[in-house]
Amino acid sequence: MTLSADLTAQYASELRGFGASLPDDFARGIEGVSPSLDEVQLERWARAGVELANSSLRSWEAAAEYFRASPAVARELTFDQLLQWVDLATELSGRSSLMSAAFLKGTPEALDHLGSDDLDAWSRQGDRLCRGNWKSIALSALYFQVSPRLLESLPLDSIGRLVDIVDQLTERSYELATTCLESAPPIFAALAPADRAPFLAFARAVTRASWADTRLYFERGPRLLESIAPGQRAAFLDLASRVTMSVGRQGFPLFADSAQAIADMPEDDHEALIAFASRLAPGSPAAAMEFLKSAPFIRSRLTPEQMEQWTEVGVDILVNEHNAEGAEAYFRLESTRAEDTLRALSARIELTSINTMLRMYAKALSGEQVSVQSTENLVDRNIGWVTESTATTEGTAIYLPPFVNTFPEQQANFQVYKVFTTHQTGRMEFGSFGYRFAEGGAHTPVTVTEREVRRREAKALEAAQQASDGRNGGSERDAADVATAMQRYFNCFADRTLIGGLFTVVEDTRVDACVAQEYGGIRRWLKRLQEYEADQRPAVHTMALRQAFVENLLRASLGRPDTIRWPASLNSFLEQGLGALKVVEQRGASVQDSAEVAASLYDLAVSIPNVVHNLPEEDWVAPAEDMISVAPSMPGGGEGEPQMMPNGEDLAFENPQQPEFRGDFKPELVQLLMKLKLQQDGKQQDGVNAPLTKEQLMELLENSAEITISEWAEGDLASSLGMFLSNLEKDAGTPAGEKQQGEGQDDQSSGTDGGTDEEELPMRIDYFYYDEWDFRAGDYRPRWTRVGERLSEEGDDDYYDETLRKNHGLVMETRRQFELMRPESFRKIRRLEDGHDIDLDQAIEFIVDKRAGVGPQARFYSRRNKIERDVAVAFLLDMSASTDEEIEKQRQKYDKDDDGDDFDGDPRKYFQWLAQRRAKQALEPPKRIIDLEKESAVLVVEALEAIGDSYGIFGFSGYGRDNVEFHVIKDLTEEYGPRVRKRIAKIEPIRSTRMGPAIRHTIHKLDEYDAKVKILILVSDGRPQDHGYGRDRTEKEYAVHDTKQALNEAKRNGITPFLITVDKEGHDYLKQMCDDIGYEVVDNIESLPRRLPTLYRHLAAE
Amino acid sequence: MTTAEQTSGFKQLQVEDFRITEEPYYLPIADEVELFETAYEQHVPVLLKGPTGSGKTRFVEHMSWRLHRHIGNVEAEGVPLITVACHEDLTASDLVGRYLLEGDDTRWIDGPISRAVKAGAICYLDEIVEARKDTTVLIHPLTDYRRLLPVEKRGELLEAADGFLLVMSYNPGYQSALKDLKHSTRQRFIAIEFDYPPRDQEAEIIHVESGVDRDTAQELAKLAEKVRNLKEHGLAEGVSTRLLVYVGKLIAKGITPRRACQTGIVWALTDDVEVQRSIEEVVTSIFDE
Ligand SMILES: Nc1ncnc2c1ncn2[C@@H]1O[C@H](COP(=O)(O)OP(=O)(O)OP(=O)(O)O)[C@@H](O)[C@H]1O
Ligand SMILES: [Mg+2]
Repeated sequence: MTLSADLTAQYASELRGFGASLPDDFARGIEGVSPSLDEVQLERWARAGVELANSSLRSWEAAAEYFRASPAVARELTFDQLLQWVDLATELSGRSSLMSAAFLKGTPEALDHLGSDDLDAWSRQGDRLCRGNWKSIALSALYFQVSPRLLESLPLDSIGRLVDIVDQLTERSYELATTCLESAPPIFAALAPADRAPFLAFARAVTRASWADTRLYFERGPRLLESIAPGQRAAFLDLASRVTMSVGRQGFPLFADSAQAIADMPEDDHEALIAFASRLAPGSPAAAMEFLKSAPFIRSRLTPEQMEQWTEVGVDILVNEHNAEGAEAYFRLESTRAEDTLRALSARIELTSINTMLRMYAKALSGEQVSVQSTENLVDRNIGWVTESTATTEGTAIYLPPFVNTFPEQQANFQVYKVFTTHQTGRMEFGSFGYRFAEGGAHTPVTVTEREVRRREAKALEAAQQASDGRNGGSERDAADVATAMQRYFNCFADRTLIGGLFTVVEDTRVDACVAQEYGGIRRWLKRLQEYEADQRPAVHTMALRQAFVENLLRASLGRPDTIRWPASLNSFLEQGLGALKVVEQRGASVQDSAEVAASLYDLAVSIPNVVHNLPEEDWVAPAEDMISVAPSMPGGGEGEPQMMPNGEDLAFENPQQPEFRGDFKPELVQLLMKLKLQQDGKQQDGVNAPLTKEQLMELLENSAEITISEWAEGDLASSLGMFLSNLEKDAGTPAGEKQQGEGQDDQSSGTDGGTDEEELPMRIDYFYYDEWDFRAGDYRPRWTRVGERLSEEGDDDYYDETLRKNHGLVMETRRQFELMRPESFRKIRRLEDGHDIDLDQAIEFIVDKRAGVGPQARFYSRRNKIERDVAVAFLLDMSASTDEEIEKQRQKYDKDDDGDDFDGDPRKYFQWLAQRRAKQALEPPKRIIDLEKESAVLVVEALEAIGDSYGIFGFSGYGRDNVEFHVIKDLTEEYGPRVRKRIAKIEPIRSTRMGPAIRHTIHKLDEYDAKVKILILVSDGRPQDHGYGRDRTEKEYAVHDTKQALNEAKRNGITPFLITVDKEGHDYLKQMCDDIGYEVVDNIESLPRRLPTLYRHLAAE
Repeated sequence: MTTAEQTSGFKQLQVEDFRITEEPYYLPIADEVELFETAYEQHVPVLLKGPTGSGKTRFVEHMSWRLHRHIGNVEAEGVPLITVACHEDLTASDLVGRYLLEGDDTRWIDGPISRAVKAGAICYLDEIVEARKDTTVLIHPLTDYRRLLPVEKRGELLEAADGFLLVMSYNPGYQSALKDLKHSTRQRFIAIEFDYPPRDQEAEIIHVESGVDRDTAQELAKLAEKVRNLKEHGLAEGVSTRLLVYVGKLIAKGITPRRACQTGIVWALTDDVEVQRSIEEVVTSIFDE
């Protein structure tokens, strides 16, 4: 028997007492260790195991692991070290056998990375996590389980730092701590060695700043980092750590957002980006991250060099102006300076910045009431236009892409917009939509009438054949039955797509030629854009022949016949085609010519099969120069050389892609829209045509090649068409003016709601955008707020009269006061018998006449007299929820102490008083701030009607920066009437108080109004407050500053602002800023009329 | 009557002696010449209505030259033209006449209307709406069949000589409702409407008046047409033929068209920067330098 067998036998029964498998574990263990140990050592090894098993209630589990792990451990450690190891385990098992077992089990693997000296430190790190409760025990066991794998990527002391983090998390959530620990090994394994320490450092910062984000970081961090250039990750993590230490809980979100932003940038730029951000970090950590977040956007508008210039301005704000908040706003792109700098540097031009100017330009050129809008708007209207990227027009408005970035210089891109606009305006100016059927042009004979007959015969034949085949023939329509002339023209051709495409090429050629003739100054840019477009064309030699033919015509029409490629063998077609196209470039060519030229090109095109011609590329040649001259007569089709045509299967014909500046051309739809419009205006085109029927419209829409079938839902053609039709009709019903966009104004009105039930949704909201003042950054946040202007709802009829009756005396007094007020502007009146000044001329004349004995009249005085008043005043009423507060209640709070004294402690007196008060309140509900505002409104109306000044009454409320509500109770231009009375009745407290934008919108309204003296009176409870109107709910400074700024803007625009607040409790935050702005506290309605005239006279002076 | 006095280099003459001796260039746009001639023969007062710089004054001058045949004693020299620029302080005495002190005596001196009435001249009241209402009423008896001018201070009535005709001009564009002509005044005149001429005719005028070449004149007329499209959409008044002539003169003397248009049209028309820019873009679309 060997010693090991002896020992196994010796301890077997004892061990079996702990667990059935323990003797086996022992046996296997002793077998494994015996090669490494001598007999004495073997005995001690065995005893140590048994002692461990005996050391506490469940320590036999640890012993089992001891036996199992020993063979491997014994190979690595000296016997003394082995004993130390088991001592450590015994010590641990004193706290938890589970932990001890995990320690023992993990040792062999850990020893692959640890020196024998480190075992102690390793065990202590695990031990640290153990706090005696089962959750902590499980966690420390987990530590021993995962740390061997962690050791593959992290040194022991780094793991110690991870343990610190985990330990900190346990104070919040064991579950979170466990998840983080569990997920650590693969995370660190995947990181590059240099990134591991920084990753850990940032983890620590995140945990400190916002423990809950740790999990997010462990989950998402690695993936976020992956998209950053490998060499830059450590630097980025360092930056993030530093930022987080200073910004706290924002640290991780900033990290995540900026990492995503960096990922959107080319990898080569990452180094510079992060280096620049690190440069910003000491001055403003937040600015550093905001810079990274904005980088992709900035980069999309600027070249690297420009971007550098842009960022330097931000650095300047930070470093030289010492304005960290300003720099932050700058890099967050929420500052006017940031936008202005961007705009100045960028080659890109935004439509919004030149919209008004282009609108006037288009108006000047076309003489039409056109508006200029972004293509996005047209697509939204769903009336048949679907591409956003190209310019177009639907006859009343010109649609342009929201920005242009075609060329590297701003000036050139601006010219691109100009060419866009000029071409689109040209379609109106040169009559592209004015086609009349069968009317002759200057250069071409009329063929469409014959074509119509031929086409009808062909169709009839077809129908007859179909009928004889037992199929249902389509019902034939009369020529007079078409909705538009354009439609009738297109009906003459079997292939509507082809004729549509040809007509477009020809008509655009004509318009471009007209533009070039009429506008010598823009010719150069038109040419440059044509060249640019010609160079972008797709390869022609791979196209099917007919398609290639049309494509080549388009190239010719761009003024670049040199880019044409065509099989030399088929030259006669091309020659005829080019010659025909030339016809419309002549002076005097009209849309009628275009239609005829397109028709003859059609004949040519249909005689070319749409097959792929397998010629080598070099056999596609450019035309000789002498080939391109105006055709003496219109070519006809059919007489081509059929034998030379390649055979093959005809492919489906597709029109070439339109050049951007020409964009979508849909004459058929435009004519239809114009006709619908006329019809809705009650006018009839030509006075001949009967109103359009639904059937006619359906017929047009179904057949029109200008609407692609894919736009319709499969199988639901009829209902899609119906929907589309109602959009069209609705669109035609909107006057052009309403579709216009003013400056900073969004024209999307109720139409965006789908507008299915127009009757039920009469409310129309016009949106306006305004900047907001960020006093911290010392700059505006551009287009920050959206104000929705709408007509106020109407309440009941009685309120107004009731108020008048109740305040009869006051009303009379106010009226009288106002009637007494004298107009403020003066004019010299001469020839008076009495006055302030003597008029010298008159006096001389008087003396002369007197000498002459003519019996003159002594009228040589003059006086400055008052003439018509020229005052406009806007009342802006606060309709926020806080105005719901009762005024009485406020007063009560103040008076309580005095009241208390009066009762002398006699409860009966008190109850008496209370009962009286209740009775009074039941009769007359307590007055709220809003009631005071309403009554004031009534008084104001009465007073101002008496004096005859222009006035408007507006209310405001809303929620958040996108939803500032602006209620028009009476517009400046509106006449006073019953509806105004009803609207006053309906003034109600609604939501928040964002004063700035409401004031700005009122300024806008006053600006539009023509008056010498302009006054803005703001009636509020003095508490600007809104969601996001300040750092948090309690902060007032931001709101107050913005309001003050808005009032200053009013002053700058020549408007006198005045504030009336109805707050007595001292919640008035506005007061502090009213050093140079008129201000008044009114706490009851009775004092208002007394104050108003004085106040008004004061304001309206000068 | 008094002859011209020659004083230190400039000619000084009595208003009624002023004759237009050379034909003032006027390009008829419609039938205004014929209308005016007939009105003159029939003693029907004429109101010329139209925007500023549309040729009203030039037209009257031209007509005064043309109508020389109607007056017997001054052969080939045309009807005298007496022009009064109206303003709000213009009094009846200013028009009719007044006494002047001369030493210790007084001397009566005729106002422009009295002179015109006596001389049988065309009396042209420019911008009549600027005059005070009571002044306007003064001309009423002159404009009906009576053709009389009461001279209150002298207690006289002047009967108009045969060649006399009252012509007023009036720019309906920028008048406020307050300053509108009274109907009783208005309805004493036939009105000839003036507007800026059609493109080709305006080009001809620009060419003749400024000496600029025909092509440029044509482009200027085109520009004018475009700019006038902006009237009431940013511009209070369209560009006048007068301004175009000025611009033509600058160009004829070598200023580049873009620059000439800038000073003569863009900046002259408006102070609104946005409108200026859009007009400028129209200019640069039409002229390439
Ligand atoms: N039909 C025309 N023929 C010739 N010249 C013309 C004509 N119309 C305008 N002009 C030119 O325009 C200039 C301005 O015309 P004019 O001074 O007569 O304008 P007006 O109508 O009297 O303007 P206002 O109302 O400002 O006095 C003339 O000097 C002349 O050069
Ligand atoms: Mg004049």
